[in-house]
Amino acid sequence: MKSKNIKNALIALTFLFMFSINSNAQISKVEIRATGLTCSMCSNAIYKQLESIPEVETVETDLNTNTFTVILKEENNLSPRIFKEKVEKAGFFVGTFIVTAKPETTSNGSYVLLNDKPNSASEIKFQLLDKGYVTEKEYKKTTKSYKEVGTYTDGNEDNFHIKIID
Amino acid sequence: MRNIILVIVLIGFQNVFSQELFVVTDPASNVPSNSLSVNVMQSLFKEQISAGYNYHFMPEVTYGLNKNLMFRGSAFISNRSSQLYAEGGSFMTKYRFYSSDDLNSHFRMAAYGRYSFNRADIHQEQIEILGHNTGFEIGIIATKLIKKTAISSSISFEKAFDNRPDYAFPNNIGNNVMNYTLSIGKLMYPKTYTNFKQTNINLMIEFVGQTINANGRSYLDVVPAIQFIFNSQARLDLAYRQELFSSMVRSAPNGFYFNLYYTFFNLKK
Repeated sequence: MKSKNIKNALIALTFLFMFSINSNAQISKVEIRATGLTCSMCSNAIYKQLESIPEVETVETDLNTNTFTVILKEENNLSPRIFKEKVEKAGFFVGTFIVTAKPETTSNGSYVLLNDKPNSASEIKFQLLDKGYVTEKEYKKTTKSYKEVGTYTDGNEDNFHIKIID
Repeated sequence: MRNIILVIVLIGFQNVFSQELFVVTDPASNVPSNSLSVNVMQSLFKEQISAGYNYHFMPEVTYGLNKNLMFRGSAFISNRSSQLYAEGGSFMTKYRFYSSDDLNSHFRMAAYGRYSFNRADIHQEQIEILGHNTGFEIGIIATKLIKKTAISSSISFEKAFDNRPDYAFPNNIGNNVMNYTLSIGKLMYPKTYTNFKQTNINLMIEFVGQTINANGRSYLDVVPAIQFIFNSQARLDLAYRQELFSSMVRSAPNGFYFNLYYTFFNLKK
């Protein structure tokens, strides 16, 4: 009986620990500028796609620039990839992709930093520079700039190359 | 008295770039993935040979299976036999195989195929599998969107078969044609967006031509249109089709279109 209680307590502690890691490694906001559209019916298609993600709290749309500001619920564990897929499902592409997140988010192994990270910030803001997260023209330029970064053009969609902007 | 038979098995898909949502042609873009678009098209064309008007009612459903592939089903109902009569139906698929997008612009290409069946009488040289002939059509479309203007062009091959069970395709007229289209659409209003509920107004002009491969007989029509988009979800088109020239027999080339569309986004969560 006693050892069972200890075991349960250990399991509970493990869960708590995992939980705390998750909550420290989360994205709180993404700002997406979509490409290939100029009308509100097209924007609406993207809006509806983004809104359908359960972890999404709110989506704000600037119809003149086709920028979508997506606020996420706390303790989500979303990867940038789902947003890209949703925009493409609506029939469009991502032109810029900016993430606001806790600093710990970038240390989980799937992010490759292309510049230095500020030391003491409670939240950081970074831009994704991978294929599909920037315009085609921009990607042509960045492939040249980051040709020494071996993983940049390896096509692994679970690796994100980021530039800290704030 | 014949009963009106209305059997519609329709799965379809509708594009969502309003300047590209042309009335008589399709753009290279598709409807969003997992959304369903319902379209009720009506047309009233003046008979050239006999007196009166020719009314066609064409309900259509379009479904986006994924970001590149859509399916559409249509039904054809008309009053050509003096009362409303379900003449046939159609199944269409379109695949977007090329996209190059930038901020506020895109260039896209798509291929499509359509098969239609129809049991109405064959009464003209013009081949039209949307509501008149049994047959198929295959084609490619290229569409360029630059800011508020969309330009789209397509070329297709269309071949007619017998309108079973009662009407064989006549031997003395060509049963296959080339079609070519050029469409231009422009978003006129609003100049600046404030919200999704604003009504959008698009102006369009489309040119639609056909040449019978066997004898070179042709026609060319112009279709000016005005389009309203409500709540970024519903659409109303008013258009007029006018023959510019023709060297083939056509029963009713000139007339009006009246279309209503509605898109249901995210069918399955």
